[in-house]
Amino acid sequence: MSVRHLSVERRPYRPRRPIRFVLTAVLTAAALVAAGCGGGDDSEEPSGPVKIKVWAWYPAFQGVVDLFNRTHTDVQIEWENAGAGQDQYTKLQTALKAGKGAPDVAMLEFQELPTFQLTKHLVDMGKYGANDIKGNYVDWAWKQVTNGESVYAIPVDAGPMAMLYREDIFQKYNLTVPKTWAEYKEVAQKLKTASPGSFIADFGANDGGFMTGLMWQAGARPFEYTAAQSPNVGVRLNNDPAKKVMAYWEDMVDSGLADTVAYGTTDQYSGLGSGKYATYIAAGWGPGYLASVAKTTSGKWRAAPIPQWDAGENAQGDWGGSSFAVTDQTKYPEQATKVAMEIFGANKDAWKIGIDEAFLFPTATPILEWDYFLTKEYEFFGGQKVNEVFVPAYNGIGEFQWSPFNSYYFNQLSTNLNQAIEKKTSWTAALDTAQQNITTYASQQGFKVAS
Amino acid sequence: MSRPARTTGGRIASHAVMALMAAYFLLPFWWLLVASTKDNDGLFGSAPLWFSGDFKLFDNLSLLFSHDGGVYLKWLRNSALYSVVSGVGATAIAALAGYAFAKLRFPGRNMLFAALLGLIMVPATALVLPTYLLMSEAGLTDTVWAVILPSLLNPFGVYLLRVYAHDSVPDEMLEAARIDGADEFRVFRSVALPAMRPALVTVLLFTMVATWNNFFLPLVMLSDNDLFPLTVGLRTWYQSATLGNAGPALFNVIVVGALVAIVPLIVAFLLLQRYWRGGLTIGALK
Amino acid sequence: MTNLARRARVGRQAVAGWLFVAPFTVLLVFFLLLPMLYAAKLSLYRSTLVEGEVFAWLDNYRQALGDPEFRRGVVRVLVFGAVQTPVMIGIALVAALLIDAATSRFSRVFRLAAFVPYAVPVVIGTLMWGFLYSPNTGPLSSVIDVDFLSSGTVLYSLGNIVTWQWAGYNMIVLYAALQGVPREVYESARMDGAGAVQTALRIKTPMISAAIVLVTIFTIIGTLQFFTEPLILQPLNPGAITNSYTPNVYAYHQAFSYQQYNYSAAISFLLGVVVFVGSYIFLFVTRKRSALR
Repeated sequence: MSVRHLSVERRPYRPRRPIRFVLTAVLTAAALVAAGCGGGDDSEEPSGPVKIKVWAWYPAFQGVVDLFNRTHTDVQIEWENAGAGQDQYTKLQTALKAGKGAPDVAMLEFQELPTFQLTKHLVDMGKYGANDIKGNYVDWAWKQVTNGESVYAIPVDAGPMAMLYREDIFQKYNLTVPKTWAEYKEVAQKLKTASPGSFIADFGANDGGFMTGLMWQAGARPFEYTAAQSPNVGVRLNNDPAKKVMAYWEDMVDSGLADTVAYGTTDQYSGLGSGKYATYIAAGWGPGYLASVAKTTSGKWRAAPIPQWDAGENAQGDWGGSSFAVTDQTKYPEQATKVAMEIFGANKDAWKIGIDEAFLFPTATPILEWDYFLTKEYEFFGGQKVNEVFVPAYNGIGEFQWSPFNSYYFNQLSTNLNQAIEKKTSWTAALDTAQQNITTYASQQGFKVAS
Repeated sequence: MSRPARTTGGRIASHAVMALMAAYFLLPFWWLLVASTKDNDGLFGSAPLWFSGDFKLFDNLSLLFSHDGGVYLKWLRNSALYSVVSGVGATAIAALAGYAFAKLRFPGRNMLFAALLGLIMVPATALVLPTYLLMSEAGLTDTVWAVILPSLLNPFGVYLLRVYAHDSVPDEMLEAARIDGADEFRVFRSVALPAMRPALVTVLLFTMVATWNNFFLPLVMLSDNDLFPLTVGLRTWYQSATLGNAGPALFNVIVVGALVAIVPLIVAFLLLQRYWRGGLTIGALK
Repeated sequence: MTNLARRARVGRQAVAGWLFVAPFTVLLVFFLLLPMLYAAKLSLYRSTLVEGEVFAWLDNYRQALGDPEFRRGVVRVLVFGAVQTPVMIGIALVAALLIDAATSRFSRVFRLAAFVPYAVPVVIGTLMWGFLYSPNTGPLSSVIDVDFLSSGTVLYSLGNIVTWQWAGYNMIVLYAALQGVPREVYESARMDGAGAVQTALRIKTPMISAAIVLVTIFTIIGTLQFFTEPLILQPLNPGAITNSYTPNVYAYHQAFSYQQYNYSAAISFLLGVVVFVGSYIFLFVTRKRSALR
């Protein structure tokens, strides 16, 4: 037998090695797998406290969870950060559709509630006593989460809007704090002349929540939809107030007064940190966000009410804000409802963490009226009692309805506006395009669209 | 091996081009190294290609392993797990099949092999979403098997091993072993496998790398953070950082996480250079 | 050996043969055939937010073919493939020829440098380049004053990432093929007075045409399925990188952002079929050069 036929290099080898290696590797791996996925499924009759799984991405949430677990013996929270924003919503949709893998309680921003309500997988917490705490919340917030007597979510935080500005820059260039959008533009022009590399603000056309908040303030109501009137939905994205807002910002950008860097990018953070942007139109959770991405500017920012369209008014919009909903995959709807109502609720200890560490803006009236919150001095804002600005803003927010296809809406808004910015075409025309696409989409999905 | 004599001008020119290209390939690594030593503010404040004043590598590393409840280590473990299990499993399965196609006679062999050849060109990513939907119906998503099982399928590996087995496993030795009374599996184990070793190592390495680097499949199949491989995990952090209202945007953690994630493979590559070269030779020539 | 013994052995071989290919065949059925069939089935149905699933025959395909976003995505990957492939193959070929001609230690260092990006997961490579492209954390914008992620430039920027990632790998494949060229060919070329460049172009390149075809087709297949890089960098400029940027990205968002699983299945299926058919056509057209089968 000729050894030449073996095209194996002349090296000592042990013939049995491959199989042994394979077997060992596979067995080790199998052991790892078994150890790794000790999945906690089938919870039979709980012999101890009921475990409620919660998905949320609030900053500093661990402290709030620990607090709840310390103060409750019959219910314990298992917290998982399943992603932020759309990431979590995607997972939740997938899990709800699959019939498994969803948590008992999920954090849902206001704008996503109709979408999830439509899946019919949210538990009506009204049956488990949620209506008892109705009095803790202002009208517009409670309406966001309810459908008559049915309660689909418990509000947690909100995003009333205000203008955060760099006091040092304003002083340096002798700028006055604008009270109307017209004044805002004048201040912007003054700033531009004095410091050509600066902008009064960055307009993030990739953030649907931001843009909707601005339109909300102007009185635009792009959608008319409640679960009760489904499948009827009113889509009026390109009405006058909305166009007014877009025309204004288009002008600001074209005049070189506002930048168009996408929100959430390192470039935006740089701009905020370096003083390139003299103001930041923010939501109630904005201060915390600013503090983390622009640490070096601590002490230099102040808060002022958002500029008005008509002098003397208090028209307001909301950007973001979230709630806790209970999914129908929970085995303990009563306890899950309790968790949703009480993790934050109107609990001062929990809110102390929420206010101090997570920079959340509460929706519970008892907390809003709480001295600690109202008179808190924020170091990042040079000791200013920032909530004295945000609370009146919160009180000025009116009713607003979201569509049951919010991710499509946000996507249309940002895609079309971004394209208008890139190609330097009309922003109001972009609104028209978005309106058209959304109407078509809604009809395709079986909705009866009124515009 | 001698090559035609080169002019010095030619040598200088070719080396200059190579140096330029090498710089292009290595630039991002240099940036990553430098960036890993900076904290979040340093990333935005200092010159990108040189160090800032503070050397924060170890701070970043400790932040990396503690952030989000130490989930990064789980991701590291998961990547390794998927890689090893898929690699070994896929290679074993491909070896069996490749050898059978090459050396065993069984009815339907040619038809099946023709089908295999036909299916090699089905694009993997086009299968991810349908596989997800199918597994979702079966309730198997969001488990380690959702990632491992599809990764065990390697038609190209079967093809490669079939070709290699055909050429390098001597029939006489197979016959000899059979005459000695060995059953087919024994014959496979003691004669074919050793002969196929270089190709086996190649398929193993390539499958392991492909699984380590896989993104689309685990992205779609997994929802549970704890099951993510490094690729999906880091992207999740990146998404959170760019979302804005999800708390602090810790880019320095992402940067150092990227650094740690690429070190194992690069080290493996450097140590196992010989196998890559050999393997690619097989791939190219066959 | 008796006839009986021989037949028994043949029978044994047949059984062994089936057993050996069984695991692979099972996987093939479950993770290739069944998904394809399931996708095909799903694509024939429609699911609306309001009503749920209804049989819709070829409606999804009709919608896709008429969908301007889908068409833009298709055109984009075709253009991308047409531009990216020659660039990638060109760079890989030049690099392979260079290291083939040089024998210094530096060429080995260079070879390693070019190959290392392959060791980096695409996700991480994309993240790295995302930082490099940024005007604030990256070095590039201080050298070249260009917005790398604007809608006019982003495709090239993405293409650059792909080139960086794969050129080294392709280079090694081509280099390995070059190693297989018999030396006598070079000898006779040298005696005929051919210079280095001529040798490279006229002799080496044609001799490895099989490998070149192979790398080309895998590059094309890759570009048609372009997914990871655009998805990762999307947050940096969602206006430029839309949800329908490439067919795969579109299919992904249809399923996971809009819950349109049927439409997504149709797009995946369409993409799969196109790539599959296209690959075979390409292989057929180049069969003489590629020396395959």
